Amino acid sequence: MAYILRRLLLTVPVVFMVTIMVFSLLHLLPGDPASVILGPDATPEMLAALREQLGLNKPIALQYWDWLTGVLHGDLGHSLVNNIPVIELIRQSFPATLELTIGTFIVVVLIALPAGIIAAARPGRLADYSSSLFALCGMSIPHFWLGMMFIVLFAMKLGWLPASGYVPFTQNPVTNLSAMILPILSTGLRESAVLMRMVRSSLLDVMNADYVRTAYSKGLRERTVVLRHALKNALVPVVTTSGLIVAGLLGGLVITESIFSIPGFGRLIVDSIFKRDYVTVQGAVLVSALLVIFINLLVDLLYTVIDPRTKSGRGAK
Amino acid sequence: MKRLLNSGFIAMLAVMLLLAGCSGGAKTNTPAGDSSTPPSSSSGSETTPPAAAGGTLNISLYLYPTKLDPKYSVSIAEKNLYQSLYDKLLDIDKDGNLIPMLAEKWEISDDKKTYTFHLRKGVKFHDGTDFNADAVKFNFDRYMEDDSAQKNALKSVDTVTVVDPYTVKVQLKQPFAPFLSLMIEKAGMMVSPAAVKKYGADFNNHPVGTGPFMFKEAVAGSSVTLEKNPNYWQAGLPKMDQVVFKTIQDTNVAFVNLKSGDVDITDKFPYKEIDSVKNDPKVTLINEPSLAFEAIYLNTAKPPFNDKALRQAVDLLIDRDAIVKVALNGAGVPGHSPFAPNVFAHGDSDIAAKPDLAKAKQLLNGKTYTFTLKVGTLPSDQQTGQMIQTMLKPAGIDVKLEKVEVAALDEQTKSKNFDAVLAYWSGRQDPDQSIYDWLYSTGTMNYSGYSNPEVDKLLDEARAETDNAKRKATYDQVMAIVQQDVPNVYLYHVNNTIGVSKAVQGFTYIPDGMIRTANISK
Repeated sequence: MAYILRRLLLTVPVVFMVTIMVFSLLHLLPGDPASVILGPDATPEMLAALREQLGLNKPIALQYWDWLTGVLHGDLGHSLVNNIPVIELIRQSFPATLELTIGTFIVVVLIALPAGIIAAARPGRLADYSSSLFALCGMSIPHFWLGMMFIVLFAMKLGWLPASGYVPFTQNPVTNLSAMILPILSTGLRESAVLMRMVRSSLLDVMNADYVRTAYSKGLRERTVVLRHALKNALVPVVTTSGLIVAGLLGGLVITESIFSIPGFGRLIVDSIFKRDYVTVQGAVLVSALLVIFINLLVDLLYTVIDPRTKSGRGAK
Repeated sequence: MKRLLNSGFIAMLAVMLLLAGCSGGAKTNTPAGDSSTPPSSSSGSETTPPAAAGGTLNISLYLYPTKLDPKYSVSIAEKNLYQSLYDKLLDIDKDGNLIPMLAEKWEISDDKKTYTFHLRKGVKFHDGTDFNADAVKFNFDRYMEDDSAQKNALKSVDTVTVVDPYTVKVQLKQPFAPFLSLMIEKAGMMVSPAAVKKYGADFNNHPVGTGPFMFKEAVAGSSVTLEKNPNYWQAGLPKMDQVVFKTIQDTNVAFVNLKSGDVDITDKFPYKEIDSVKNDPKVTLINEPSLAFEAIYLNTAKPPFNDKALRQAVDLLIDRDAIVKVALNGAGVPGHSPFAPNVFAHGDSDIAAKPDLAKAKQLLNGKTYTFTLKVGTLPSDQQTGQMIQTMLKPAGIDVKLEKVEVAALDEQTKSKNFDAVLAYWSGRQDPDQSIYDWLYSTGTMNYSGYSNPEVDKLLDEARAETDNAKRKATYDQVMAIVQQDVPNVYLYHVNNTIGVSKAVQGFTYIPDGMIRTANISK
């Protein structure tokens, strides 16, 4: 419990640093929101008036302070571009990304675990080679290309699935799921390649350990040895990787969301950066950072369940 | 082991759902049974019974229409959506002639300074309030406020007076020929005064006009849904129940959506696919001249482009035909002026001389030059830049290409932080709106720093004159001077390329390139 508290307390300076960094970086970018909002036909007077109105003329430190005090009061502010509360924009975009993340993760677990285990259990055999080939393809094929190919094949040529048309799950589950299959598969295949290699290599490491040899010499069947003895220990690094994958996915699947026109979190951040909508980017990055920190905490907690060595303070990391 | 995996996974899921809970679920809006977007089939056919017209029309826009309030709009994607949401005082027909819309007829005083509009009666805004002379005055006054993006367009307007409930007088400061043509633009779009007063700054999220479709919902960054206006003043229109404007930034992605039937109309078409749809059973391509120009602004205030000989040489070295053929795959017209083929001032002034290396070298007099050309991120911009680089090299002009993202390019252009920048203007019906602010000494878009009293005088004359033949002659004089001074190198006029599904009926191409939805059925 104390451990968790300590970890939670540590997040405060981390988040603080992240927001300061993002804020500074955003303001270093050339281009300003007033100019984007008013377009090419804007007179200098119009630009000056709008900057004043948006509070962009204040010193940067003061702008940051205003934003921070707002956040501490639970107010993420309003988008500079269309005046919608940032929390509302995040609320609108998050379900799509969450669904994409969960779906992708399910696909990843379903593919990577079995494939990785089989590959490790039969090193140098056909199963191993074919799994490795899959992993190599999955990691090398750019997933935007894969996504486009999926659209060309399944939407254009065969007409089985829509190329776009995301609606929230609560609004129409059938339409939603049919629009989500292709994006989930195209990201899932790639991510499962990453995880499969992890499962394979970490299981191979363990298979050479003394206790596995002991288990074999006791005459246990391979199946029992792999699944009962080896896998549990092999999973420790796999959990870390999974955590990273999930955190990465939640941070937004910009390319997937763009190709399949899904109004997700990643697109919100990128579009807002292009529009120099500082307030929205800040809010979204804050939420994103909190998520990543939270998932990392969760992974560490899972460790203590999987790997007893972490409890005694002799970290396995 | 399995248990462990399961528990780990469930814990993760639980956490994620918890987080989702914090950030709220999805929006609930359409009750089941309402016409939601049908999952499309490959044939793109409607799932609704064919009893009457109706159903959903899906249009893809390459930019998200952030501003639903014309007062603040500067984007062409937004202007496209406005055609369905707002009516304008006037419109244009397929031949580019001005036609009545919310104004049934209009008169111009002899001194060309007073415009009297007689308004259509019985028109209501989507919120049920009346459209009348007060509403028109309200809109004019609002568009002329300091924070309005349309202020510059209405600079010539002095006062707007209500004569009676259906007559409005607009008094200009001086004769201004382009005025009527601006009434088909954003400055002529009528929004509901009651809604503006009710929502204030939030009008952007509750837009109300008199157009064929009413605002239903917007999903930020993704789509805007409009529904049928049952009280539309044009009997029997609109024909669709719903129009969904989806944002698809990548034209290739928009194209596959068009092919698969997920989208019925796309506002932009990938150039490389132009040949592939020639005999396509599902898709028609509208490939028509637009009002736009593409030009390179040259910074005449500093070296190297303070040197007129260099500017003339650059202008002379560029093979515009080749650029249009390669970078646009033929979807454009080579140009040498800001006047596109559909603008009445278009003519001989738009024809460039054949590239002439010998003459260019003579101009440069053995000197070599280096400059940086800033270009945007569109593939056609990149290609245009690369081709110009190649064309200028033989004359000893070394071009460095710098690819700049849109917001940064915008700022660098405005702050004149460039040697040369490739720029695009979507153009307007009236030639004045594509030349005045670029070449007038104090013009808002005079980024090249050009100043020529003779040109200023002619530009002022041209906008005060109402006879088009005389105006064209004046613009020809302007271009004769400008083509000697070369503050900007005009390159081409890109076509409007609109992809239309063959399932769509009633689509008419209008020369401003905007998609009008009232007559469309599918």
